Amino acid sequence: MIYAGIDAGSRSIKAVLFDTGRSQILASGLTDQGVEQERLAAELFEKLLRDADVDRTQVSGVVATGYGRNAIRFADTTITEITCHARGVHRLAPDARTVIEIGGQDSKVIALEAGGRVRDFAMNDRCAAGTGRFLEMVATRLDMNWEKLSALAQQSTKPAIISNMCVVFAETEIIGLLADGKPLSDVVAGVQNSIATRVSALAGRFVSPPVYFTGGVALQAGMARALEEALAFPVRVAPQPQFTGALGAAVLAGERNKADK
Amino acid sequence: MNAPPPRKLSLDEWTIRYEQLRRDGLHEPVYGGPLRRHVIREKDFRLEQLRFDNSPAALRLWNFLLTENERLRQARADGDKIVGTMKDLGTVPVMAYALPGVRAFYPDGAWWTPCLMEGSDKLLQQAEALGIDASFCPVRAMLPAFVNGEHFPKPDLLICSTGAVCDDFSAIAQRLEHLGHPILWWEMPRRRQPASGETACALPGNLTAPKIQVDCVRAELQRVGQALGELAGKTLDDHCLAAGIRAANQVRQLLAALRETVYSAPAAPLPALEMLVAEMFALHFCSDRGESIAVLGGLLDEVQTRIRQNQCVIGADAVRVFWVNPVADLRAMNLLEELGGRICGSDYMFTHALDLIPENLPPLEALARAALADPMVGPTADRAARIIRECQAGRAEAIVISRIPGASHCAREGEIIREIARREIGIPVIELEIPPVCDALLPALGSRLQALMEMLKAKRLK
Repeated sequence: MIYAGIDAGSRSIKAVLFDTGRSQILASGLTDQGVEQERLAAELFEKLLRDADVDRTQVSGVVATGYGRNAIRFADTTITEITCHARGVHRLAPDARTVIEIGGQDSKVIALEAGGRVRDFAMNDRCAAGTGRFLEMVATRLDMNWEKLSALAQQSTKPAIISNMCVVFAETEIIGLLADGKPLSDVVAGVQNSIATRVSALAGRFVSPPVYFTGGVALQAGMARALEEALAFPVRVAPQPQFTGALGAAVLAGERNKADK
Repeated sequence: MNAPPPRKLSLDEWTIRYEQLRRDGLHEPVYGGPLRRHVIREKDFRLEQLRFDNSPAALRLWNFLLTENERLRQARADGDKIVGTMKDLGTVPVMAYALPGVRAFYPDGAWWTPCLMEGSDKLLQQAEALGIDASFCPVRAMLPAFVNGEHFPKPDLLICSTGAVCDDFSAIAQRLEHLGHPILWWEMPRRRQPASGETACALPGNLTAPKIQVDCVRAELQRVGQALGELAGKTLDDHCLAAGIRAANQVRQLLAALRETVYSAPAAPLPALEMLVAEMFALHFCSDRGESIAVLGGLLDEVQTRIRQNQCVIGADAVRVFWVNPVADLRAMNLLEELGGRICGSDYMFTHALDLIPENLPPLEALARAALADPMVGPTADRAARIIRECQAGRAEAIVISRIPGASHCAREGEIIREIARREIGIPVIELEIPPVCDALLPALGSRLQALMEMLKAKRLK
């Protein structure tokens, strides 16, 4: 049976069509977030149906997750992104015991039991310093796109120390570092370290290996390394990290349907 | 006419319900009336966002709570002396109400005002202008409330404990004094275990402290008692104080029965919001000890009736949550229930005011022991031990610690309670910071609470 998961995040909307019988992702895609998020999500969903050559009537359930989940009214139900990311990562990496998700607006540390059930979680949604928003601010300030920022971070030889834990003040600090001639690559790597430090503080004592890193920020080269250093644990990037929330939503749609029957 | 089944009502629904109750012959106390009037007269706009229990007992509770300012002003007009007491949470009011013609209240209770008025009163901004900025806890709202005189009458006597209290609260109270409001300070030592060879004293709540600490607090309370006596023109003697303790214990017994009945019920017979308000009565009886007994008695009758009739306001499948700390925004209590949770126990930071004051000891000694049992003056581990006991009694599936922005006690308590809860009973603990008006954060708060519910329901299936 085919199920859909829609992850309406703060920066982008992600969607996955999942065939539970074949345990296979049929299609996945993302689009930038906007004011009319339900329309954007519906258009993305329709595109995925076309890509997979699936008729809407063949989709047995739709679960929405993410910050904007309640706005996706064509979904059958909503489930939080904590539960969905946990389930999505577990589907792709069943050995995962800790999931770190850094999104555009918040970050989460999720402890998993064997079987993928959430044992505990911690979430930062009050401060941009531990989220992808910090990297976005730097990209805007340096007038470069996300991919170039990622490539730049890999060239760093001596990451800068960003002492301010507030994005607003850190921006001023970054301007000062650049004015002092600090290499761009070191500034970007310094920002990555700063985010990783915030996330590791959030994780506290409940991190246990294997640790998987997911969410759009996981695609940034250098972030996993920064997290490894901050956590003092090996960190693996989850397969298709930007889609684990949507995948988890689709998987849970299937499980709920099965449970209802 | 049969009462409708228990449910939660919006303010508009309560207006209709009120008219029906009136037509059916509802008997109300002098402070009665429709809840809507508090929005119109006092500009308590937040009431429009809350959902309330539909019983007449709950109506009386809310009306009693929201008329405290009127009651204090009437008492002043009748010649009563008004005592503003701060930080002791439940001790000094027992002494004040032992004297005829004296009423005590907590000016720092004004910390709810910005939320109730959704910030339209600008108290928090004005506090900043008075030198206490947003890095302090919302108790800072009391500073401008003293200046504008709108939320409570200026007290005839201000009493505040110092020493082992919230750092930020102490700073705010000192600022208040510098603004021209003299304070009678009394010292509260940080509670510790008796050392080897020291005489130990049993305190309420299964705690102990060295006798030297109890003696210290008793001497301080004696000084407070003298000041209260001078204000009242009557000596606060042992006879008088013992009667005051018995009356306070009557309130505490009622509250204990209410808590036990509601929290142990398989399905919640009363919403979390009304329980939070009711528990606050332990502090200062909402400025009318006799009436607070009547209000609590009415609530207890209501929940007992509901349980007998197999009625509830939250279903039996709700996730059982133990809640730590009072919320700055009352909306959070509704939110928990909307997302499938219920309260099965609470520690709103004044558990010492819920315990009975010993009646078999000299009254001042008994009060000193009760004051020293304050969770705020001892190690968080003591507080955690009580939380664990009550979690077990209430079969809690999770603990939610609501952080109060800027409150100094919040710095460490979450981590300690989390560690002890995990070790002792293996249940998850989440911390939520709830600002005075949490509207902008409702999606984020909702996500955390919903994730907690999902996690615990999945655990049940397992």
